[in-house]
Amino acid sequence: MRVFTVAGRVVKQLLRNRRFLALSIFAPLVLVYFVKIFFDTFPEGFDVARYVVPIAAFLVHFLAFILCAITLVQERTAGTMERMFINGFRRVEIIGGYVLGFLGLATFQAVVVLAEAIWLFDLDYEAGTLATLFAVVWLLAIASVMLGIFVSTFARHEGQVFPFIPLIIVPSVFLSGLIVDVGELPEWAEWLGHVFPLFYANDVIQEVIEAGGVLEDVWGSFAILAGYGIVLLVLASLTLREVE
Amino acid sequence: MHAIKTEGLAKKYGKFEALRGVDLTVPEGSVFGLVGPNGAGKTTLIKALVGTLRPTSGAVRVLGLDPLKNRAELRESIGYMPQSPALYDDLPARENVRFFGAAHRVPDLGKKVGEVMEFAELSGRAKDPVHTFSGGMKRRVSLACALVHEPRMLFLDEPTAAVDPQLRSRFWKQFRELARNSGVTLFISTHLMDEAMLCDRVAILRRGEIIASETPKHILENGGVRLAMKRNGENIERRIGGRPEDLADALHGYGLARDIGAVSVEADTLEDVVLAIIGEEEKR
Repeated sequence: MRVFTVAGRVVKQLLRNRRFLALSIFAPLVLVYFVKIFFDTFPEGFDVARYVVPIAAFLVHFLAFILCAITLVQERTAGTMERMFINGFRRVEIIGGYVLGFLGLATFQAVVVLAEAIWLFDLDYEAGTLATLFAVVWLLAIASVMLGIFVSTFARHEGQVFPFIPLIIVPSVFLSGLIVDVGELPEWAEWLGHVFPLFYANDVIQEVIEAGGVLEDVWGSFAILAGYGIVLLVLASLTLREVE
Repeated sequence: MHAIKTEGLAKKYGKFEALRGVDLTVPEGSVFGLVGPNGAGKTTLIKALVGTLRPTSGAVRVLGLDPLKNRAELRESIGYMPQSPALYDDLPARENVRFFGAAHRVPDLGKKVGEVMEFAELSGRAKDPVHTFSGGMKRRVSLACALVHEPRMLFLDEPTAAVDPQLRSRFWKQFRELARNSGVTLFISTHLMDEAMLCDRVAILRRGEIIASETPKHILENGGVRLAMKRNGENIERRIGGRPEDLADALHGYGLARDIGAVSVEADTLEDVVLAIIGEEEKR
């Protein structure tokens, strides 16, 4: 299976690129700590828990997206993408290999960021809630990797990835319910929010951390989040150009 | 069978015509040179031949296959060394070669990788990451990547651009070796005319058009020879045709035996001489 050949190479490459590794591991750790000192300035009694896990999820989302998109675009600028095609790799194998290769990184980031956030903020969640939170952040991380792959197919060089940050990542902060309830937004903005994967992740997170929240109520969001990745994967395999 | 046959191959980017009706025939087992200035369309032509570019019009056959329709089948039989190194800088040289070999499911891959690394004279640094390599060494890794699956046909896009004369001559020795020993057809683009002399056949590409496709000797015969002599203390200089017969004809007037009908002289180039001096120094 050549998809594993690509995945193996992506993993080896990630492990050998120390700067990249440092960025993908230490950056989220440091950022979660910044979130902690930020919320420490808030008056006592403020509902910090409502923000902590969603913000941690956002950090994973952003980092997984940007790291994957840039690595894949580098393949194009270096000419290795063309070389992969000429050596017979198919589009599905390349994209699938990237998904598998980045899955490890995404899982690691999801675990580390959640664990640090829960520990620093001394959040007391039951095992079942923790498992759901992890699952949701993990699914979001996968969707972010797919989003990175999809976006990279529109960029000819690294610089062209950056315009997607204000287009996709920044709006999701305001429209996904991370800061305010989407219900309080104008109706069109509420609908626009549904475009972002963070919206569905946040929906599940808010439900399960709420006292008396039931997972069954947000199954839909959970499923959409999982489906989001699959749709992007299909789209990416259609937009990745093999022939000029 | 022809290794390559194109008819009226054209590629337009908007109004710009990168290729304007290229007709080309490349015999199998030959070293074929594509020469032309920068921007003549050499890379565009190679991309159309390896199937990463869709021509606007015209027909292309490589090893009897359509590079777009029979993509998967063709790619088993061709190797490609692009102009840029196109390698994974963080990975060791050997891992790069292994990765592209695995794409072809090369049997006994480890052994084969060892062989091409040796051929490219990289065995000593196989485990070092590519980013520690010089430009010339990266080219060698890139060549090894293109050879690992033993292709029948090899496309090399300016393989010796920005490479020192020593490595250049080594590369050409290897190219000839591949054609002679393994029957590989080599399609090599270059803008260095002295390299074109080393090919069996040469096509000249200018602004997207082939303006000549012949043996390099034949092309040279279109040129002239400056004949300089000293006779009884008098300097004589003449310009004559480039064919060996022209030189013999000119010399008959100066007493060359009539039974000698053709004379050709091949002097070493400055590069040959410098390389020989370097070689001798290195032996000491």
